[in-house]
Amino acid sequence: MQGLEEQEPTVRIRALKKDRVNFVLENVNLAFANSVRRVVMADIPTVAIDIVEIETNTTVLPDEFIAHRLGMIPLISTNCDEAIRYTRDCVCLAGCDFCTVRLLLHVACQDHTTMDVTSNHLEVLPPDTRGGFSEETEAPDNGEEISKRSEYFGHPVGKNDLKLPPVLICKIRKGQELRIRCIAKKGIAKEHAKWSPCSAISFEYDPHNKLRHTTYWFENDIRTEWPLSENAKEEEPERDDELFDYNAQPTKFYFEVETDGSLGPQEVVMKGLAELQTKLANLILGLKTQPELDMMANDEQATNGNIAENTWGTNAGGGGGTNASSGGGWTSSAWGGGTSPRGSGWGGGTSPRGAWGGTSPNRRNAWNATSPGGGGSGSGWGTGASAGWGSPDGQANGWTV
Amino acid sequence: MNAPARYELFVLEDGERAVEITEDTKIPNAATIKVIKQDHTLGNMLRAQLLSMPQVLFAGYKVAHPLQPYFLIKVQTDGTITPQAIIEQACTKLIALVAQLEQKFKREFSFKDAEANSAAAAAAAAGGQAPGVLDDPYGTGSTGGTGMWAAGRDYLDF
Repeated sequence: MQGLEEQEPTVRIRALKKDRVNFVLENVNLAFANSVRRVVMADIPTVAIDIVEIETNTTVLPDEFIAHRLGMIPLISTNCDEAIRYTRDCVCLAGCDFCTVRLLLHVACQDHTTMDVTSNHLEVLPPDTRGGFSEETEAPDNGEEISKRSEYFGHPVGKNDLKLPPVLICKIRKGQELRIRCIAKKGIAKEHAKWSPCSAISFEYDPHNKLRHTTYWFENDIRTEWPLSENAKEEEPERDDELFDYNAQPTKFYFEVETDGSLGPQEVVMKGLAELQTKLANLILGLKTQPELDMMANDEQATNGNIAENTWGTNAGGGGGTNASSGGGWTSSAWGGGTSPRGSGWGGGTSPRGAWGGTSPNRRNAWNATSPGGGGSGSGWGTGASAGWGSPDGQANGWTV
Repeated sequence: MNAPARYELFVLEDGERAVEITEDTKIPNAATIKVIKQDHTLGNMLRAQLLSMPQVLFAGYKVAHPLQPYFLIKVQTDGTITPQAIIEQACTKLIALVAQLEQKFKREFSFKDAEANSAAAAAAAAGGQAPGVLDDPYGTGSTGGTGMWAAGRDYLDF
C-alpha cells in the first residue's frame, strides 16, 4: 500500500454507453476503490415516488403492491443537487413544488382486452398546478430550484423515448380502473434502494486470483473448471513456477457502472467522487471545529460567570500557546485538576453541550456552504469566538496543527 | 408509527457534532475518534490511508453495530504528530486523490464523447446504417436528462 503513494491513479474508460460506463481504475488501494463503489451505489440523490394516494383501485393488485411498484420506477433526476430540495430541509410543512414532483396516474380499461398500465401513463403535473392533492401546501418562498430543472425532470425514464419499453405497473381488464396521485421526493439509496441511480455495478480485481483472496472449489483442475472473466485478458496469468507473493496488494480494479436511466453514467461517477470529497471535507471540518467549540463554550461561560474577560483571555491564550508548542495535544492536565478535556473544568453552571447546541445553526450553515474540495474550515467560526481572544484563527491554528 | 425517520441514519441532527474525540488514557499518542452518521465508505478508506502513512503505528476502524449510524476509528501515532492531526492529513491526502481522479475522469469522458461523435459522423457520412452499435452515449436529447447539459449547465461545475 505504501508503494502506491508515489504513483498517480489512472482511469481508462473501456466503454461508454447511454446507460453504462465500463472503466479500469489503477494505482489506488482496495479500500479506496470499494469506497468509490459504495458511494456510487448508495449516496447519490435521485428522485423517486415516495407517497402514493390511491383514489380508485379496482385492479387485481392490492394498493400496497401498486404503491411499491410505483416507487421502483426510475424518474429522470438530472441535476438533482440544484433542481430539488430534500423535504426535510424545506421550509414547507408537507411538501411543495420545491421539494416534490407530483405525478398522476389515471387509467381505465373500456374494452375486452387486457391492457397494460405502464410508467408511460404517469403524467407529471407541472409546478404551480393544483392536482387536488390532499396535503397540498402553498409554495413557501421563491426558490430557484424549479428554474434549474431540465425539461423532463421527474418524468419516468423512457416516457419520451419510443425505443425504450416502459415499466409495467399492472395489467387491467374491462371495467377496472386505477386512479392514483403520487408524490416523488428526493432521497438517497441509503434510505431506500429505489433512490439508487444504479441498477448494477460490477467490481472485479485480480481476475487470475493471484492474491488468493478467494478459494475455488474444483474437482480436478481449476483452470479447466473455472472460466476466466473478460478482465483476465488485461493481466498476466500466474506462471506455474511463480512463488506466491503474500505482500502483494490489488492495484487494478474493473468497474462497470450501470444506471437505471435516472442519471447518466457520467453524472453518476462524477457525483460519486464529489460526494466522497464532501464526506472527507466534513470530517476535517468536524476535527477542526472541535477545539474551537471548546473555546466558544469557555468564552460564553466567562461572560456568564462575571469574570473579567481579560484574565480569561490571557489564561486561555497561554494555554493555547503551550499546547501549540507541544504539538497541539489537548490534554486535560494542561487545564489543571484532572478534569475532562471536554472543557467541563471551565466552570460550574452551563454545560458545554448546551453552549454548542446554541451555536449549532451557524455550524450547519457553515457546513453546507463549504465546497467539497475546500477542506479549509474555521471561517464560519471566527466571529463567534472573537470576544476576549486575540485572533481566533491564530488560536485555531495553534490548537489543531 | 413510532419508527425513527430513516434519514436519521445519515443526516446529523440539530446540534449534533460530526466527530467526537476520546484520547486513550493508557496508550501514548492514541485516540479513538467517533465519526457520527458515517459508515464503512469513509471508515475503511480512512483506515487504509492512515496505514500507508509512516507516522502511524496503529489504525483500525469498526462499525460497532449495524443499526447504529457511526463508526469508531482508533489511531496511534509515533508521537511526532497527534492522532487528530494525522487523520486530518489523511483526509487532505484523500481529497487530493479524489480530485486527481476527478480530473482524469473528466478527461476520459471528454475523449469518449469526441470519439463517439466522430464515429457517428463517419457512419452517417458512409450512409451505412450502423446496427445500433454507435449509439450516441448521451442520446442527444431523447432521454431528456441530457437536455440540461446542452444548456451549458454542467454537473462538473460543483
